[in-house]
Amino acid sequence: MVLHKFGEKLYSGLVGTMTLHLQEMAKTIEAAQGNLFLEELNRKWNDHNKALQMIRDILMYMDRTFIPSNRKTPVHELGLNLWRDNVIHSSKIQTRLLDTLLELIQKERTGEIINRGLMRNIIKMLMDLGSSVYQEDFEKHFLEVSADFYRAESQDFIECCDCGDYLKKAERRLNEEIERVSLYLDSKSETKITNVVEKEMIASHMLRLVHMDNSGLVNMLIDDKYEDLGRMYNLFRRVPNGLPTIRDVMTSHLRETGKQLVTDAEKLKDPVEFVQCLLNEKDKYDKIINLAFSNDKTFQNALNSSFEYFINLNPRSPEFISLFVDEKLRKGLKGVSEEDVETILDKVMMLFRYLQEKDVFEKYYKQHLAKRLLSGKTVSDDAERSLIVKLKTECGYQFTSKLEGMFTDMKTSQDTMQGFYAAYAAELGDSPTLVVQVLTTGSWPTQPSITCNLPAEMSALCEKFRSYYLGTHTGRRLSWQTNMGTADLKAIFGKGQKHELNVSTYQMCVLMLFNSADRLSYKEIEQATEIPSSDLRRCLQSLACVKGKNVLRKEPMSKDIGEEDAFFVNDKFASKFYKVKIGTVVAQKESEPEKQETRQRVEEDRKPQIEAAIVRIMKSRRVLDHNNIIAEVTKQLQSRFLANPGEIKKRIESLIERDFLERDSSDRRLYRYLA
Amino acid sequence: MLGAWKIFTTDIKMSYFADAYADMIMADGITLLCSDILVDHQDIVMLVLSWHMKAATMCEFSKQEFIGGLQSLGVDSIEKLREKIPFMRSELKDDQKFREIYNFAFGWAKEKGQKSLALDTAIGMWQLLFAEKHWPLVDHWCQFLQARHNKAISRDTWSQLLEFAKTVDPQLSNYDVDGAWPYLIDEFVEYLIENGIIQKGQLSDWTQKH
Repeated sequence: MVLHKFGEKLYSGLVGTMTLHLQEMAKTIEAAQGNLFLEELNRKWNDHNKALQMIRDILMYMDRTFIPSNRKTPVHELGLNLWRDNVIHSSKIQTRLLDTLLELIQKERTGEIINRGLMRNIIKMLMDLGSSVYQEDFEKHFLEVSADFYRAESQDFIECCDCGDYLKKAERRLNEEIERVSLYLDSKSETKITNVVEKEMIASHMLRLVHMDNSGLVNMLIDDKYEDLGRMYNLFRRVPNGLPTIRDVMTSHLRETGKQLVTDAEKLKDPVEFVQCLLNEKDKYDKIINLAFSNDKTFQNALNSSFEYFINLNPRSPEFISLFVDEKLRKGLKGVSEEDVETILDKVMMLFRYLQEKDVFEKYYKQHLAKRLLSGKTVSDDAERSLIVKLKTECGYQFTSKLEGMFTDMKTSQDTMQGFYAAYAAELGDSPTLVVQVLTTGSWPTQPSITCNLPAEMSALCEKFRSYYLGTHTGRRLSWQTNMGTADLKAIFGKGQKHELNVSTYQMCVLMLFNSADRLSYKEIEQATEIPSSDLRRCLQSLACVKGKNVLRKEPMSKDIGEEDAFFVNDKFASKFYKVKIGTVVAQKESEPEKQETRQRVEEDRKPQIEAAIVRIMKSRRVLDHNNIIAEVTKQLQSRFLANPGEIKKRIESLIERDFLERDSSDRRLYRYLA
Repeated sequence: MLGAWKIFTTDIKMSYFADAYADMIMADGITLLCSDILVDHQDIVMLVLSWHMKAATMCEFSKQEFIGGLQSLGVDSIEKLREKIPFMRSELKDDQKFREIYNFAFGWAKEKGQKSLALDTAIGMWQLLFAEKHWPLVDHWCQFLQARHNKAISRDTWSQLLEFAKTVDPQLSNYDVDGAWPYLIDEFVEYLIENGIIQKGQLSDWTQKH
């Protein structure tokens, strides 16, 4: 017919016949009852498709020639359009179809089983009719109905569930919708429907969920609910502002608990415990971020800034961290493997990084290290050195050079002693063994140089050493720090009990006096030894008043040392150990005045550093205004301490007075560098 | 001009000059001079006169300073100098000149060889100067210094105080804690608030954030 120019007739005949046929079909479909409606629709659709295929084959010639040249709709498409217009869009079918579909989905949501295959076919039909048909006739309504459904459901849930359960339910719903899309909807619908669920179930209730009484985020954090936290993270990540919400609540909780921790008067009594608590807190949150928050960088940063915030609320944190290290390096690390030592040290370094006043830490660290080295109490040289290397990498050479100097001194002293005994072996005979540690002034914490009278045999030995040392090192000066030494004494008591006593140099001086006397009064001891009275009291107290270590006897018997007291060798002294270590009563934590003194020293040490920073900056900038100079100085120094703006100002004024700087004559906020 | 000089120098009472320092007018000479020009020796106008003379030190003029000063004032006799007194007093009302005189006073009043100004002298000078300038906080300032500071005053603090008195209103409403004021002035502000002399509410938000 096309060849005979009847293309037009053929085409319009096709349209007319098909339209009539489809209208018939629509009537049968309309007539289908209840559940059969969809099946009927599906069957007819299949029939129509088959018929359409055949018609297209038969009319292939028209499809290829007449249709393109006359810009008509191709046969197949025409068939689909006619089906759309006459069946799907027929007034009795259109709404019924939509309602049925939505009803089935609703049924499935409430747990009923539906014929998914049929659903898939019908949805596929809508998609075949063009994406606009799918979107307009189904998806749009589907999304609206879903939003209503989830809005209502989330309202019910949030009233009766705790946060953890709610999140479980939300997660399940989300997964169901994703599954639904994969089973019988267009895959493009996935993001649309998940957005609906996210918005209705999560975004709208975010704050309420996070702050839910007894089960919200804070409770999850306290109880380490990794699974719930992980679920919250994964769900909240899907909505705008979700993660910042979690992060903010975590941060404020962390700051609050941290603040309580560092200001808790009970905890402050035990520095080791204090630091251990900080480390535990850090471990706890590291684990949460690792297990539940997929190691999110922003969460780690929040954790770090929170720690930095509250650790520095307590001005004693640097001291306590150093005491913690001291404790570990003196006894805590015995029998611990090398890796474990490293782990502990790394953790300490992490706390150190949070400190603003690193110079204060350095001061205390130096003091504690000095005590460890001189008393020979350090457990592991390797651990000591390893920590110093860590400090060096963190803060640079300048920070640790003095600490390293202390180690060098210890090593050099060993060699010196070997040299001394090699040179004097014959001459010394069986006199006591002297071990001298030569400490470089400046490397070690400054100590008041108080000398006491050593027993004659000791001072002779000391003199020999002095002449030996100065003989090999001309131009140096030696002064004895008798307040820092220790001694081992062999003692025989009344009934022949032999003991080796490990005592301090002061205690040795006192005990040696009893070699030539049975009874000594406090005054006599004080005169003979010239030990400063506060030290002498402490030393006598530890010799005469501590049970099990009372190698001296005191009259009258009492806890305290009085100026009128008299002392005797305690012949009844007994101990089950051969070696007896007699400690001196020393305060581990600094007392209030000591603390003030250290603080003052730190402040004094900062002044030249601040001035140097100002001069460095002004030398390169020549002219700078007040606020910028404060900011730059603070920045330059923050790896060591947080410079107080008031102090910077004072240093600037001092530099103005010494003609390093001047104020600009017209703008008083500008400073100029005077070369 | 040279002629005029000769007349003038003979006109000066040689008794101004102390015997031992023939080239210097010392305390006695100044007393004599003051009575001749009819002013009290503690009168602020003596500071203005010293400023004209570029005098290095309080209570003394070298001959060179004295004559140079009279020359720049354009007077060649004690009578004419006396007539200049009202003019010199009026110079204090000129802001620019007052600032110069104020800053001159620091070097003039301090002990020779010292970098800073003894507190007592400084307080005396401030009371004299701010009586002219009417700074309401001057008494508090002096009390504060005696109670809290009790040390000498640096040149920077001296000169910045005038700026402070001129730019910051007495209620401190425009005081800026980051305003590069010397720390002594910052502490003074704290002192005023602590002692309830200035109500905190009157301070701008600047201060309260600290």
